[in-house]
Amino acid sequence: MGLFRRYGEKEKYKEIIRNVILAAVLICLAVITLFPIYYMIISSFGAPTEAGGASYSLIPKSFSLDSYKFFFDYSEYSLRWILNSMLVAGVVTLCNVIFASLAGYAFAKLRFPGCKFFFFLLLVAMMIPYQVTQVPLYILVVNVLKLQDTYVALIAPTLVTCYNVFLAKQFFTSLPTSVIESAKIEGCSQPLIVWKIVMPLSKTILAVMAITTFLGEWNTFFWPFLVCNSEKMQTIQVGLKNFSFANTTYFAPMMAGATISALPMFILFFSLQRYFLEGVTVGAVKG
Amino acid sequence: MKRKILALLLSAAMAATVLAGCGGSGSGGAETAKTNTSDTNTSNADASDKETEEAGNADSSKEDAAPAPSGEKDVVTALLPPVSATYQDKVVEYIEEFNAANADIEIELTTASWEDMTQKLDIQVNAGSPPDIAFVGSDGISKYLDLGMLVNLNDYLTDELSDFDDAVLNYFRNGDGTYGLPAYCEVQCIGGNKEKLEAAGIDWEGVQKNGWTYDEFREAIKKGVVSDGGSTSCYGFVFACAGVTAKDYFSIFVKNADMPAAFDQDLKYAYTSKKMLAFLEDLRALIDDGSMPKELSSVDAGKRWNMMLTGQTMITGKGLSSFERSAYNNNKLLAEGSADAVENSIPVEYIVLPVPVFEGEQHAQGAVDGYICLTGEKNPDAAHLQNVAKVAYYLASGERAANTCQELYLSPVCDSGREEYAKLDPIADKNEANTACVENLTTQVAQARPDIPAELSAKAIKIEDEVIVPKFQGLLSGEVSPEEMYQAIVDAGHEAFGEDGCVAD
Amino acid sequence: MAAFFYKDRGNNIMDNTRKKKMKKETFWAYAFILIPLCTFMVFTIYPVVSSIITSFQDYKPLGSEWVGFANYISTFKSSLFYKALKNTAVYTVITVPIAILMSFIVSVMILPFRKGIQSFFKGAFYLPAIASGVAMSFVWKWIYDPLPSGLLNSVVRFFGIENQNWLGSSKTAMASLIIMAVFAGLGQNIIIYIAALLGIDPTYYEAADIDGSTFLQKVRYVVWPLVKPTTIFLAITSVINGFQSFQTAYLMTGGGPDNATTMAGLLIFNRAFKYFEYGEACAQALLLAVIIAIFAVFQFKLSANDVEY
Repeated sequence: MGLFRRYGEKEKYKEIIRNVILAAVLICLAVITLFPIYYMIISSFGAPTEAGGASYSLIPKSFSLDSYKFFFDYSEYSLRWILNSMLVAGVVTLCNVIFASLAGYAFAKLRFPGCKFFFFLLLVAMMIPYQVTQVPLYILVVNVLKLQDTYVALIAPTLVTCYNVFLAKQFFTSLPTSVIESAKIEGCSQPLIVWKIVMPLSKTILAVMAITTFLGEWNTFFWPFLVCNSEKMQTIQVGLKNFSFANTTYFAPMMAGATISALPMFILFFSLQRYFLEGVTVGAVKG
Repeated sequence: MKRKILALLLSAAMAATVLAGCGGSGSGGAETAKTNTSDTNTSNADASDKETEEAGNADSSKEDAAPAPSGEKDVVTALLPPVSATYQDKVVEYIEEFNAANADIEIELTTASWEDMTQKLDIQVNAGSPPDIAFVGSDGISKYLDLGMLVNLNDYLTDELSDFDDAVLNYFRNGDGTYGLPAYCEVQCIGGNKEKLEAAGIDWEGVQKNGWTYDEFREAIKKGVVSDGGSTSCYGFVFACAGVTAKDYFSIFVKNADMPAAFDQDLKYAYTSKKMLAFLEDLRALIDDGSMPKELSSVDAGKRWNMMLTGQTMITGKGLSSFERSAYNNNKLLAEGSADAVENSIPVEYIVLPVPVFEGEQHAQGAVDGYICLTGEKNPDAAHLQNVAKVAYYLASGERAANTCQELYLSPVCDSGREEYAKLDPIADKNEANTACVENLTTQVAQARPDIPAELSAKAIKIEDEVIVPKFQGLLSGEVSPEEMYQAIVDAGHEAFGEDGCVAD
Repeated sequence: MAAFFYKDRGNNIMDNTRKKKMKKETFWAYAFILIPLCTFMVFTIYPVVSSIITSFQDYKPLGSEWVGFANYISTFKSSLFYKALKNTAVYTVITVPIAILMSFIVSVMILPFRKGIQSFFKGAFYLPAIASGVAMSFVWKWIYDPLPSGLLNSVVRFFGIENQNWLGSSKTAMASLIIMAVFAGLGQNIIIYIAALLGIDPTYYEAADIDGSTFLQKVRYVVWPLVKPTTIFLAITSVINGFQSFQTAYLMTGGGPDNATTMAGLLIFNRAFKYFEYGEACAQALLLAVIIAIFAVFQFKLSANDVEY
């Protein structure tokens, strides 16, 4: 790195002191942010009783896996909900990474008529509160296109989101134009430029895009709930919500379900970790 | 230049697609649906639902989804919440039973939590494709009625309607129409911890039988306060008031301040009366006495029940009769020494108590919920609606009503339900005094007001949500005085109904 | 004359090749945005246009009536709408800069560590987002528990501050929601910032080192301008989210006390689904979108006069 000062051998202790202070601050923050996850996991080991409502304790009082069993026994489709979520979130993530980065590149580095207009349109569309666009979208998908209870209905509206196109565009803007120009002079076609130069230089942000899209899709509740009536087609979040009752809640099983639904996210996050941490710079590619 | 032309062309093409898109659905998605299935006699929306369901079903092959034969079943869709603890499981059995017994009708069920179900219903209604049957509170029917999507059951049911208690059925009536069938009438009141009530010297049995006045209640909850060294370890009374639940506290108590409905018999807005000011001052006094926590405005439903079970309050609200079971279950866990009992909880025997009377007579709050029938068609198919009404009656009556009511610790509101109820195994260890009290309160439930036009009640609901509840939250947190709140209600009332449309005394 | 002619022809040749290149570029540009644009047209623009049309109607699913500007007029007359706008603006204007600055600082702080430690912190800050919804709302309710047993009240008591009615008092309700929002958005901002920070070429730092820059100077004159596109992205999307914010207020306070936390999003939701005044909800939503757009243009303008790398 170069942002932080490198101390020489003799002053090594200074570097250590600095890092310890930084780490202490970060750990304090991490304790705060990790607390909900900790709470979720310890609560999930409670018994699947209905009486108590939320438990407010920092230390688990009992340890049982009954709530996990309760979750899977709750519906014959419990496992299928997870698979549904995986399929939908996976396809949406893949499409977003491909199409949003292509479009982001076009907006960032190519000049074409209507460029500004389309980009402006994209931004404006993000500004209309979703509360009012939900009804026409529902009319379109369910009444007109008749896509109720299909994977298409779950996937299509978020195939490429404005958010991701905007994100990609902002990142590609900061790539040096000179590299792209020289590739063009060497006779590289546009798709090749994207594939050979832009994508490798943007691994980090594409990984970020992948994980945030996957997470967002994984956690979406309302749209899948709206367009799916049959239990078979529900996603994990819709299924989880079925635990919520009017005045009482199956608290521990709900937390068990939340923990199960969080697991794939952990796995995805740590498997993409490599890309997150690779500082890919133009220098690195050239070298 | 060329580029500009190209851009222009492209945006024109875009505009065209957009406009074409709107034309298609702006003139009504329902129409498109109609043409699709006009050859079958079934309700088009439902038939197409089924088609897409089959098409979307990854397991079934295309051949299975062949064109429907003429003898196809009429599909009735229902969107239902978890009405009682095991309702979601039981309703599946009921529906299987019904489908087996009726060769020509098939019920298709969607269940979801209360809040989610309401949101889904509201979006489907706005989109013009509601489910055939939904479960809602009777206080919400005016908005569906206003959109013209409710089915008047008078046209399809006759003898069946007389099965229900008229006073309860009235909650689903508006003008001359009957727009729903009640599943139960739940008395919403308050409840106390028997041991603590007795320790404070309160004759709870007398209160259960004869009710109590505000002054008696105020003295009683003062006695329930336990404090050591300046901090209160047990309050006399705690009501869940966080967020939107503040509405419950207001609407349950205001009934007993001689204002059983937002409008008086002459259809004048009642809350502008001076009685409102006195009522608000009285409620504020309970907090100032120290009998209720001053942080009342952010105690939520879970928290107050936790306070009840851990002995931090003598009386709590809102109280439902089924809370008896919840307390009973926790007592059992405590007795077994199980670690799953609520942390720091004590054995609590739950006692149903009526809401104190501020002025006038006892008017208990009765939450009447039930099944409504909806249609998204301008000219709905009568045969289909006949089937829908049949299903609604099936769900609201007999064994279904009996089981639901028993789980909620309530008595059924229809004859067929009562008949079946008698056949059920009685609830173990039921507190008979509570049962008697709830039955007594049920007879005192405020009368339904089918005479209030939907338009007026819509305006009153808006005032309640936008003026009364927010100001009330301010009153509870000590930031709005009773006078200020009263003035705000008067101003809003005058603006909505004119001075002539409001009660003045 | 001849010289002029040749020069001219030379220009023409240059122009032609450039034009050819341009055409190719234009073709690929449209090819790249084709699929996003189509999806966007169908699933985003169509609902938006439809809500614009609805905003001029008294919407009824079985047949709407045109009412001209009536929905807009009644919106402008509603004092609650202005109050909600004010609340929303306060919420956004305070939340967005704090959240962005905080995540920038945290991201920079993570940089000097080894990769393993970096990934631990990234996970720690980002992963809580997966516990969203259920677990989060329980935890926050516990934190803001108004009685002395509440987590935050235990903390403030330690500092000798008296018990606070966090969500129940109009003095603290908005602040409580803002704290929640800052923490909720932290993880997402941090991983996006880190992606940007890792993309900075070390040669920039080397150059700055040669100039004898201090750490703070490097942050100010090298890092901050280089991550600017990212900051703009985060600022604009956060402002949009802030103005549309609905869920937190809906779940935590329901808009109270005394409408102190009523947000525009909540108001629009209530209009559309509580009262079935869908036309007016659309009108309010469009007005809100216009306000967001003004903020966004303002943000773009503010950042436009700097150099882009």
